[in-house]
Amino acid sequence: MSTDWLSSALVFGLFEVVMYIGMGFLLHMQLGLAGIGNFGVVGFWGLGMYAYGIIYGGHAPSGTDLIIDIPWPFGDPWQAIASVILATLVAGLGGLLIGWIISGMDLDGQLVGTFGFAAIVFLLARSQKGLTGSEGGIGGLDFPYDIGSEKANAMLWLLVASAIVIAIGYYTWRVHRSPYGRLLIATGQNEPLARSLGKPSNLTKLWMFTVTSAGMGLLGAMFAVIVHFLTPLKLGVDVTLAVIVALILGGAARVWGPVIGVLLTVGLFEIVVQLYAPFPDSWYRQAMPVVKQIIYGMSLIVVLMYRPLGILGDMRRDKLMRSIHGD
Amino acid sequence: MDLIAQSIVIGLTEHGPLVLAAMGFALLYRLTGLINVAFAETVTLGAYIGMWINTTFGLTFWLAIWPAAIAAGLISVATYFAVFRPAKRRDVGMLEMIIMSFGLSIVLRYSLQFVFGYGFVYYDVPAQQGWRVFDVGVSRIKSVSLVIVVVLALVLFWFIQKTEMGQKIRALASDEKLAQVSGINPLAVTVMVWFIAGVAGGLAGAFYGVGQGFKYTLGWDQFLFIMLVMLVGGAKNIRGVIIAGLGTGIVISALSLWLKDTQVATVILIALFMAYLKVRQRSLVEGKV
Repeated sequence: MSTDWLSSALVFGLFEVVMYIGMGFLLHMQLGLAGIGNFGVVGFWGLGMYAYGIIYGGHAPSGTDLIIDIPWPFGDPWQAIASVILATLVAGLGGLLIGWIISGMDLDGQLVGTFGFAAIVFLLARSQKGLTGSEGGIGGLDFPYDIGSEKANAMLWLLVASAIVIAIGYYTWRVHRSPYGRLLIATGQNEPLARSLGKPSNLTKLWMFTVTSAGMGLLGAMFAVIVHFLTPLKLGVDVTLAVIVALILGGAARVWGPVIGVLLTVGLFEIVVQLYAPFPDSWYRQAMPVVKQIIYGMSLIVVLMYRPLGILGDMRRDKLMRSIHGD
Repeated sequence: MDLIAQSIVIGLTEHGPLVLAAMGFALLYRLTGLINVAFAETVTLGAYIGMWINTTFGLTFWLAIWPAAIAAGLISVATYFAVFRPAKRRDVGMLEMIIMSFGLSIVLRYSLQFVFGYGFVYYDVPAQQGWRVFDVGVSRIKSVSLVIVVVLALVLFWFIQKTEMGQKIRALASDEKLAQVSGINPLAVTVMVWFIAGVAGGLAGAFYGVGQGFKYTLGWDQFLFIMLVMLVGGAKNIRGVIIAGLGTGIVISALSLWLKDTQVATVILIALFMAYLKVRQRSLVEGKV
């Protein structure tokens, strides 16, 4: 089968769509089910991304090694696989720490904790020259295999990422139908009530936050491989914004919400507008990214004002309960 | 000893506007209970509008900041009527309101790029002469700014604690229904609070922006500290916010001088703030406070 129609830019755009769908599933569990406001999504994603670069053995653009240089006893692809796993664990530890800090806190505490964490990750990425390459970044992160061309390698990586995101989606779907998921939903809707019934609400939320943060780190590590080069500029608030907008637009309470939301936002802008819209080239350099952010911001306001449950609406079980008992 | 003295000088002159911004933010939070992320853009707007008046009409910095502050206040009121009031009427939840304010923040921040451009902008102020205080160079404009910040902070404190309008604001924040029964017009008081908060934020932005280049992320870059100072100082305690604001400026200057790295100093301070909030939350749960 010919893949000539798949340009490298399209493969990268598709990777972003897939990655954001995965992030959307994970934020759906945090925000949609457990009611935790995570405004520092980029922090966990970025921690995984940088952890991968450091553990794998990336180097500064000048070619100098970073402080941490693990003497891997084996080469790729095992080196990359082990690095992805370790980066996921590092992000999970970050999630455990922040989850513990914000546990029992109200929305303000959650906002400060997650937002502060993202700021810390950004500042460390920008300041620690020996560890993260600071402004110069980390390079030398190629694909852990070579099956011919750059495009072919990227396509294979897209397939790997898709498989991981499908697995995350399946896990999310299972959580919805498990006693653990029902406890999460109960905790998100009325935590004092769940606690008064003897449910370990704090522990349940902490576990969920740790696992989902690790998942965000995993996707960050996957991103590190496809971009090959990490700089602090990648840790902007636009990552958090894109995931939140997609989730809110699609429907924060529904498993398919992030899928619909990402297709309508990231899919529209990163693929349709970026690759096929007939705008002058100069627009893409400055105006288009700005317009995109403005539209994202306005979407949040309009959707939450007029359709707070997003396109897909309320959870099925809530709809069913209302049809039985009335509003 | 030198480090302490220098930290106090740098902390007060460079981070003084933080006090003003945090007071405005706290006032808004006290009335609405909302962490308004878009407040960051009120700070940025103050800086941009002041710069525009200063460079377009040739007004000095000291004259340009007042219309800029009023404009920031009016825009703050406009956001209340355009977004937050309709949302409250529709019973939008607090988490959703915070997300809406995040959306509004993004809309304002990136719209400013279309109006004022993408790069750094500067106030047109004469070359600065200044003083050396404890071996730290302090420009005249920063010194006068500090004096104005202190005076405005005291006026704001007096206004909230001592005047009839301040009493109405506190009453409305404590119990809206009771305040209404007592003859307080909630809309008038609410509009007043949004305006004052905007003015405080706008002035803080102008003071941050003068003497150096700034761009559309000015308020966003300060927002985490504005929020932390407000929460650590105690949202219902304006005096606490002033102390926390001044303390933050001095501590971050001391850490920066000691470590010779502002970014690591910022990381340490954020971590300290988060640790403090955690300890306070645990103390509240265990009934120690």
